[in-house]
Amino acid sequence: MIDGSLIFITALAVAAGTGVWLSEGAGRFREILLAESLFTLELLPKIVAGVLIASALPFLMSRDRVQALIGPDSGMRGLAIATLAGAIIPGGPSVTYPLTIGLMAAGADLGAGVALVSGWVLIGLNRTLIWELSFLPPEFVALRVALSLPVPVFLGWIVRRFRREIRLP
Amino acid sequence: MNILIGTILLWALALLVLRRLRRHAPEHLDDVLTRSRATVTFLIPRVFVGLVGAGFMAELLPVDRIEHWFGESAGLGGVVLATAVGMATPGGPFIAFAIGAAALKAGAAWAPLMAFITAWSVMNLNRAIAYELPLMGRHFLLIRSAASLPVPLVLGLLVLAW
Repeated sequence: MIDGSLIFITALAVAAGTGVWLSEGAGRFREILLAESLFTLELLPKIVAGVLIASALPFLMSRDRVQALIGPDSGMRGLAIATLAGAIIPGGPSVTYPLTIGLMAAGADLGAGVALVSGWVLIGLNRTLIWELSFLPPEFVALRVALSLPVPVFLGWIVRRFRREIRLP
Repeated sequence: MNILIGTILLWALALLVLRRLRRHAPEHLDDVLTRSRATVTFLIPRVFVGLVGAGFMAELLPVDRIEHWFGESAGLGGVVLATAVGMATPGGPFIAFAIGAAALKAGAAWAPLMAFITAWSVMNLNRAIAYELPLMGRHFLLIRSAASLPVPLVLGLLVLAW
């Protein structure tokens, strides 16, 4: 239950919390703690649903088909498919990460997983259309999307290469 | 409100998936439920600590100086600095794009803005700590981050050289 990453994020939270307490007082500290606790509660049902989907997905999808589409030997086409999936899937981290876990359990490789997550964070349609365009000039957004377009495929390719050089399966 | 719609959609999808599972592979149903329960128990303390920590870090971030860092005389140093600020900027898209828009209005150049938005997108510490680390594990996070680290710098420099 308690591992390195939990200890690490707890230490960070305690350090930042101490900083807030010292610089802005106990009142602000309690305010933030309460707000984030409530947010965790709000998020809880989403997390449960996401985990259920991620756990069930591998049993529902044919391993052969997932592997052929976005498996280790799916080539550039597989990375492009994973990128596209990441870009068009609507939803935040509690949807995209469980979905990636589910797909990786069903036969997608690490490179495709990285391409999918990168496609979501860099060119996610939802975020770009709803948020970015309402704040930033369209010319800037267009340039950013154009420059970012090849990046997820490239990152997936890097990860695949790197993995092959480190240890052959 | 947004989170409510998202939750409803996600649960609709979850129930659909579970119904399919019960119809096509009912022998795995118990296994899926047990595993889900274990995963959720594993996640809850991590997401809670991650969100609280990110909330505290957001409070400590010197927002009033961000405009200054994005200044017109930015150049290469601005791109590097914008990358670091983008990584450390917590919160959802609303905050990051609002900061970007404010910086642009104050006369910031496109290159550091590109580096900032891209760094916030690919390397966001907040999202990494609250979601990616607990959900995907250290291995995935480290490999994806290592590969993504140069991206904001490269895109920022491309715009700078434009």
